[in-house]
Amino acid sequence: MSPFRHDPGEEMRELFFETSQELLQSLNDDALKLEKSPQDVEVVRSIRRTVHTLKGDAAACGFKELSGLAHQLEDALAIEGIVAPGALVELSFKAADVFDEMLKAYREHRPLPDTSEIGRMSQNLVPASTSSRRKPKDARNKVLPVSWTEHEQKSANAAQESGQRIFHVIAHIDQLCSMPIAARQLVTSALGAIAQVLGVRPETGSAENAKKLDLLIATAASETDIVSKCLIPTVISRVEYFEIALSGQSTKVVAPLSVGEASLADSPVIEYPSSEDKHSTAVELPSADSATQSNRPALPENILRVDAERIDDVLNLVGELIIAKSMLQQTMQEFARRYPKDALRPRFSDAMGFQSRVLNDLQRSVMKIRMVPVEQLFRRFPRIVHDAAKRCGKQVQLALRGQDTDLDKGLLDAIAEPLTHIVRNAVSHGIESPSQREKVGKNPAGTIQLNAYHQANQLIVEVIDDGSGIDAAKIKAKALKANLISTEVAERMTTQEIFDLIFRPGFSTADEITEISGRGVGLDVVHSVLMRMKGTIETETDLGQGTTFRLKLPLTLAIIQALMFRIEHRLYAIPLNAVAEIARAWQADLHHVDGTEVLQLRNQVLPLVRVGERRISDRDPSKEKIFVLVLTYGERKLGLIVDALEGEEELVIKALDDQTVASDLVSSASILGDGRVVLIMNLAAVMDRFVRGGTDLSQSGLFSRARQDNHSAEVRQ
Amino acid sequence: MSAQPVRVLVVDDSALMRKLIPQILSTDSAIEVVGTAMDGNFGLKKIEELKPQVITLDLEMPGMGGLDMLREIMCRHRLPVIVVSSHSTQGASVTLQALSLGAFDFVAKPTDVASRMQESGQELIAKIKAAAQSRGIQITSALPEPVKRLKAQSVSNRQANRIIAIGVSTGGPQSLQYVLSQLPADFPGSIVVVQHMPEGFTEMFARRLNECSALSIKEAQSGDVLHGGRVLICPGSKHLKVKRLPLGDVAVLSDEARVNGHRPSADVLFKSVAEEFGSQAVGVIMTGMGDDGAHALGLIKAAGGMTIAQSEQSCVVFGMPKAAIERGHAMRIVDLKQMSSTLRAICSERIDSERAMRAAND
Repeated sequence: MSPFRHDPGEEMRELFFETSQELLQSLNDDALKLEKSPQDVEVVRSIRRTVHTLKGDAAACGFKELSGLAHQLEDALAIEGIVAPGALVELSFKAADVFDEMLKAYREHRPLPDTSEIGRMSQNLVPASTSSRRKPKDARNKVLPVSWTEHEQKSANAAQESGQRIFHVIAHIDQLCSMPIAARQLVTSALGAIAQVLGVRPETGSAENAKKLDLLIATAASETDIVSKCLIPTVISRVEYFEIALSGQSTKVVAPLSVGEASLADSPVIEYPSSEDKHSTAVELPSADSATQSNRPALPENILRVDAERIDDVLNLVGELIIAKSMLQQTMQEFARRYPKDALRPRFSDAMGFQSRVLNDLQRSVMKIRMVPVEQLFRRFPRIVHDAAKRCGKQVQLALRGQDTDLDKGLLDAIAEPLTHIVRNAVSHGIESPSQREKVGKNPAGTIQLNAYHQANQLIVEVIDDGSGIDAAKIKAKALKANLISTEVAERMTTQEIFDLIFRPGFSTADEITEISGRGVGLDVVHSVLMRMKGTIETETDLGQGTTFRLKLPLTLAIIQALMFRIEHRLYAIPLNAVAEIARAWQADLHHVDGTEVLQLRNQVLPLVRVGERRISDRDPSKEKIFVLVLTYGERKLGLIVDALEGEEELVIKALDDQTVASDLVSSASILGDGRVVLIMNLAAVMDRFVRGGTDLSQSGLFSRARQDNHSAEVRQ
Repeated sequence: MSAQPVRVLVVDDSALMRKLIPQILSTDSAIEVVGTAMDGNFGLKKIEELKPQVITLDLEMPGMGGLDMLREIMCRHRLPVIVVSSHSTQGASVTLQALSLGAFDFVAKPTDVASRMQESGQELIAKIKAAAQSRGIQITSALPEPVKRLKAQSVSNRQANRIIAIGVSTGGPQSLQYVLSQLPADFPGSIVVVQHMPEGFTEMFARRLNECSALSIKEAQSGDVLHGGRVLICPGSKHLKVKRLPLGDVAVLSDEARVNGHRPSADVLFKSVAEEFGSQAVGVIMTGMGDDGAHALGLIKAAGGMTIAQSEQSCVVFGMPKAAIERGHAMRIVDLKQMSSTLRAICSERIDSERAMRAAND
């Protein structure tokens, strides 16, 4: 076999790693179900089936250890009348974890984790009487009665009839003896001198490395002779013997005489297998009949597993098509201008209309491929909450809503971790301990609710707890102490702004803050992930009543509806859903408050951001009109001063790498139909920059001064 | 054999197996996997749709499980089904249940495919081909309901007058059940059986047989005594031999290398029976693929024993008996229905002739 041959196993292992995740998930789900209804046999069956599939798959891939463990577990689950359903729940959770660790270990070629605990747990699952029915194979290493074969028993019977005494001798091989197999032969031949050896265990010639030797002998010699023959210094440390009186098949154990250090009060009773009828007590299994309908939703059969990359390729091409469409549209407009009377014109526009309709459908279909229900994300939370609650000694109920809300797969993967973080925080810090809750008259069991729904081209995920809430004053105090904000800033901050502090990097690291405020561990990570995803997070809290974290995310990362505008002659775009309104204002309406430009808009004071240089106009400022885009980001509003509006367009987002743009104010770019490049502003970063300092973003590296100087001449034309 | 490849439907709830099994089968151009299904309901739909010739079936599935699907197939489509089964106690039990429901045969789930692709594939491929050619003999309808029979009493005291060695493979579970259930508790012969079956299945197999027979049937252990009215089934992955000892005849298990690719191998058993028992030996070769046992059946014949091959029309797969007949090693060709009466006749013949001889000596 050539080492260069394509390894079919590799592909299969990859598939296994993938499918096994689904199996583990369903194991977790079932365990949770079982926790709620411990008597549900169907759930136990479903767990067993999952473990069974895992076993088969693992074996096919050559993962013997995993397969073996699953086998062990499956056998334990097969026993009817499992004593402790609670133990089964814990075992299933534990098993899911251990399986997962093993899978990771296989994948990364690391040593396998310790699995002995599972073994112990599954043993405890089975009532003692049932476990003794196990195959002797499983019990081989335990101190168990030795069974002699029928022929050996027959020989013993015959020897006894001829007047000999039958002994079962157990010779313990010295711990220090370096040749246990040779030792066995030594004892056998030593006894052979005074007795007829009827049977030996382990059998002569077996390579088994046993520390004791069981012999069935028939002899006329005395007990002392037997012991002295067996006790070979440095080879045998201890000898036990039982005289066996055979009457038919029944066995009478004569009080054993112990030689050596140990007492034999607890020595094993010799048990002879009476007959094969013993087997008839076999455990009859529930057959997998139609009653075995699992309530796992039946997946449609025609599911195709496709590499996400391939879909991305298609999506990319669709994006190119959309660009081509707008190119065509622009050419069309040009054509219409030049030949307004041409008869071809209406036919062109009909064709164009048709094409763009199909294109829209195509785009939607492709996007749909990438969409997965939020359920895929939510279903891991019951387990997470269960574990976290257990660790913190709290009682938490989890309610899930809107699981069938669709979301881009990439986005789903990206927010999994931040969401986990928030939920964990909600359990550990949000929900109070049962005693505390009772003190304030709440149900001792807290509730965490996960909601998902669509709202205006956005996905909203809410994490709502009914815990203690966040104390704004405490956060403020801590932020001041940590020098995150200055005293004067602190005084002016709105409650919302204060809550936003918990997402600031400096805030999260200080442990004592965590203790007081209840939240903050790594929430900056949450924030940064959301920023990358062009999402936002809002915090609502009601002291003593609970907290809501609301994540808002774009439905997809690939194509956005954007508003395009110009600043300093350059084209920018901003996601349309962030634009609350477009206001026109006179230059004279702008005011300065605390070094911040503001605009009074319908009795509201709107802080303004100016990207680029302030225009020095020769005209009367009171006569000059400006555009202000009112942007919302989370709870916050901000006005962005722009020079001109360019209209609305569907933009296919092209990622920009760090070398192209040094600033995080621009997240990506897009190409328009006429070939122009538009930069898409990263709203989150703009907001962030604004909050942290000043409204004048012209100093940020993005807007190179040299270029602006060039442009300014044109602008002032 | 037709030039058309055998159309196979793979039914398994594991996504991995639904990929793996077709991959294994694709190594043989005479087999074409026409579709896969993840449970019984889909499987039945696909049977209607794709008209496969052979079905590979996993028994543990959510929704409509394997046994239910098998029942449906047996009464509606009568297609040969090969059960792909896993090694476990309950796996064995369900698998044997499937066989008695009429499944053609079973294979163990492939293990460690990456390094043993060929090996795990060969058995399945061979069985699929055999299944496609089988004439769909349904002996299930003829099978008696498993009833608790009156067991032979004090088996241990009866010395067997004949040692009947049976070698059987595909189709064996049903055929053996049929034969053994018709033998009476006072059957004077002792039966040793090599049924090609993997380790872990034979114990359960023996238990099931024991439940529907008056004979005392168990999986053989080394040192088990061969009594009259007792049946010892060779455990999977061991060879079974017999040995005459002063205190009685015993079964001996060994771990020697595979013979004809089999362990247990009927050749090993037949050879040892011929050597130890000579003219007291009866060799029976029954339904199954390949030619295991055909050679050593000749040794029993040569030693003066009786040799029987199952008839073509009663075989699920006429392979091993055919090989024996072609070599001229089968002294009698017997239909499955007549097998038990033939065995009884042979055993009583012997007793009669012994009596006659004793009477003559007196």
